[in-house]
Amino acid sequence: MKPEEISKPGEQLVDLNPQNFATLPPPYENYKESPVAPLTDDQKTRWEHSLDGVSALTLPKPQTPEEEEKLVASFLSGLEKLMTKENNWTFMQPLMLSLEYCAKCQTCADACPVFEASGHKDIYRPTFRADVLRKVAKKYLSPGGKILAGFRGHDIDLNWDLVARLAELAYRCTLCRRCASVCPVGVDNGLITHELRKLFSQELGIAAAEIHEKGSVKHLKFGSSTGMTTAAIGDIIEYLEDDIEEKTGKRIKIPLNKKGAEILLVHNAGEFMSWPENPMAFAILFDAAGIDYTISTDLVGYDAVNYGLWYDDVQFARVAIKHLEIARELGVKKIVIGECGHAHKALSVIADRLLPGDQLIPRESSYTLLWDIVKSGKIKFDPSKNDFPVTLHDPCNAVRLMGIVKPQREVLRAITPPGRFREMTPHGVENYCCGGGSGFAIMSSGNFTDWKIKLSGRKKLQQILGAFQGEMDPELKKMVCAPCSNCKGQIRDIMETYEVYEKTGIWYTGLVEMMVNAMVEQEQPFLDWPGEDEDDDM
Amino acid sequence: MSWIQILTYLCGAIFIVGFAAKLLKYATMPMHVRWELYPIPHEGKHKSYGGSFYEEIDHWKQERHKDHMAMYMFMLPEILFIRALYEDNKSLWYWSFPFHFGLYLSIAGLAFLTIGAFLQLLGLPPATAIGSFVQSLTILFGVVGYILGLIGVVGLVIKRMTDTELSEVSAPIDYMNLIWLGAIFLTGLLVWFQDPGFAISREYLVSIITFSPMKAQLSLMHYLNLLIFLGFFAYFPFTHMTHMVSKYFMWDKVKFDDDPNRGDPGVDAKIKTYLGYPVTWSAAHIDAQGGRRNWAEIATTNPWTKKEEK
Repeated sequence: MKPEEISKPGEQLVDLNPQNFATLPPPYENYKESPVAPLTDDQKTRWEHSLDGVSALTLPKPQTPEEEEKLVASFLSGLEKLMTKENNWTFMQPLMLSLEYCAKCQTCADACPVFEASGHKDIYRPTFRADVLRKVAKKYLSPGGKILAGFRGHDIDLNWDLVARLAELAYRCTLCRRCASVCPVGVDNGLITHELRKLFSQELGIAAAEIHEKGSVKHLKFGSSTGMTTAAIGDIIEYLEDDIEEKTGKRIKIPLNKKGAEILLVHNAGEFMSWPENPMAFAILFDAAGIDYTISTDLVGYDAVNYGLWYDDVQFARVAIKHLEIARELGVKKIVIGECGHAHKALSVIADRLLPGDQLIPRESSYTLLWDIVKSGKIKFDPSKNDFPVTLHDPCNAVRLMGIVKPQREVLRAITPPGRFREMTPHGVENYCCGGGSGFAIMSSGNFTDWKIKLSGRKKLQQILGAFQGEMDPELKKMVCAPCSNCKGQIRDIMETYEVYEKTGIWYTGLVEMMVNAMVEQEQPFLDWPGEDEDDDM
Repeated sequence: MSWIQILTYLCGAIFIVGFAAKLLKYATMPMHVRWELYPIPHEGKHKSYGGSFYEEIDHWKQERHKDHMAMYMFMLPEILFIRALYEDNKSLWYWSFPFHFGLYLSIAGLAFLTIGAFLQLLGLPPATAIGSFVQSLTILFGVVGYILGLIGVVGLVIKRMTDTELSEVSAPIDYMNLIWLGAIFLTGLLVWFQDPGFAISREYLVSIITFSPMKAQLSLMHYLNLLIFLGFFAYFPFTHMTHMVSKYFMWDKVKFDDDPNRGDPGVDAKIKTYLGYPVTWSAAHIDAQGGRRNWAEIATTNPWTKKEEK
């Protein structure tokens, strides 16, 4: 399919046929995949879905031709702004280079997990949405763009069909940037998706509700994207202390707002709600290692996420600046980022050139600190407590996009018996995204949940199953270590949909949970497996 | 001075101005936020698996060490042999490599022809040992370059036409560009058949260097080759075929730019300038007020707490 066809009027540009989806390894080799759940007739009349029958944005259809025209004009105006230094100094240079220099070699296509999982649907090629944007920019915004447009390859019609489909298409890429890592000329089609999302958000106010209204807005308004208020976080920490006491027999005080502490520890607040054992494990480890740290209960400060990273530079900057401001006020020496991949990249990498150097506070990955704790010998670990096959998921943001590859592996090797840890194929900086990247893990509008599990998460399911081939007896417990909150969310959803634990015995957890499980002084197992505990709320 | 000489100067000037403008355009764009991708070769051999300084405890206290040699050792085969394509798209590499390598050799041949022209002006024509050596290199690089380039062009055109994955995204201009380059290689080869030592071509370059009339007569094939080449020379800076620009900026200045902000005064000054840029994004939550507010103002305002305070 040519990118120009995106302007074609019609009910739906492509159909997703589950028979074309990439096959899964045993024991799913004969698995009958169901189609992506269709929208209801009522939803179809209300929401744009003409790309692939999926609605991630629940974008309302314009009611009049005038409204359509206005939206199309806003889109073009936004595209123009993306190409100005005043409005887009943050990414202008790589964007302009990526728009200008694609050699149309399609090397990136085979690197894309969504394209592969879909059975090679053209609309999911990394170049497809990027080419649409390139063609619109060349035809409508470059001098003489309409002259010989067909011959020059950018004769595309800019209409509402194009804009609406492009808005949805901006949310069919996880921004994992595998495509950019293989491009022979360095073009970054992932970045173009990122910029496209910015255009829609910053100019038209269009973004996925879960990452804007229910995400970064909640974060700035209540303190956390989970909606957890500054008043509630103190209570939640107290509950965690109770739970720690129950699990370890020891009362540990989690320090809050401690001025002058060495470290400000920031967790993805989703952990407090969905996987409280993760912040609990951090507290146990830090206490045992004698680490001087604190957690902030200030607005924004107790939630490390920064959803702006995926769709909006302004929202990104507001949250990042607040994180840094809180750290400065507490007088800490560094910020340590918990098990959250995108928070790693947001605060460590992207925010690095947002403020002058004197306003920055050093940021460090918890993976690095955890490895340092292991190396220090301050905590004794007994690897035999983790005597089950383990594989490691590499969160794209922390690994391919930050180069933190070794620490988490060294930790795993130190806390598991020899031969129990095995890599996925491929792994490290060549890893595949969990399928929940760029906000997908928390997005569930329309019928998007079904799409993200069956398509963007498919490659990861293949990899997880692949890592344990030959050991698929459900009685043999196996673990995926996923040191990232959003990745865990996506892996949880995949596992539930495909009943992975029931059929294979594979479960998932974070890195710190496995560390505490292996602590010599930890008398009871810290890890929970499904069905083991009657109180288990999983 | 003949019309072809005037045309040569004109096309050369267009090339230089066009290419310089392109380089300048990208070089003067604002410093972007960091957007690197690992592995980064200058992190050194011990991090060749893709590791970074973020793996070190208190990394900001440690001195930054960049392994420049590792970077050169990575980039050299990448530029010469297009390693990324070899590793990730081999069926295209089979044609893209001879095409690009042929192009490099042809350019090297032209460079040796120019050196030969200067040597001739210095009284060292091909009859002398050094002149003869340079002439041999000119022929070797030029002819092998033309042949490889031609093979590459034919292969790439066929591949682009027959592979639906490529044909669907290819425009007439893409074929035209390849055929244009193929015509340069082909006519260059035919020139060599007529002028095996490139003596007439060298004479022409001497006249261009000295701004003097041609001593030898150009053949029809020389004219044809020259015209096709000059047209391409002037056209090239305005096309996406200048992707060596992208390769430099996107690799060196984006993918491999992992320089942490440690308060360098130059970097700080740039950031302060950018934060003063007026913002005109229209979405309500940006609250840019049509360009009346700048980045610093909108980024340090929390519109939601502001409303609650009211």
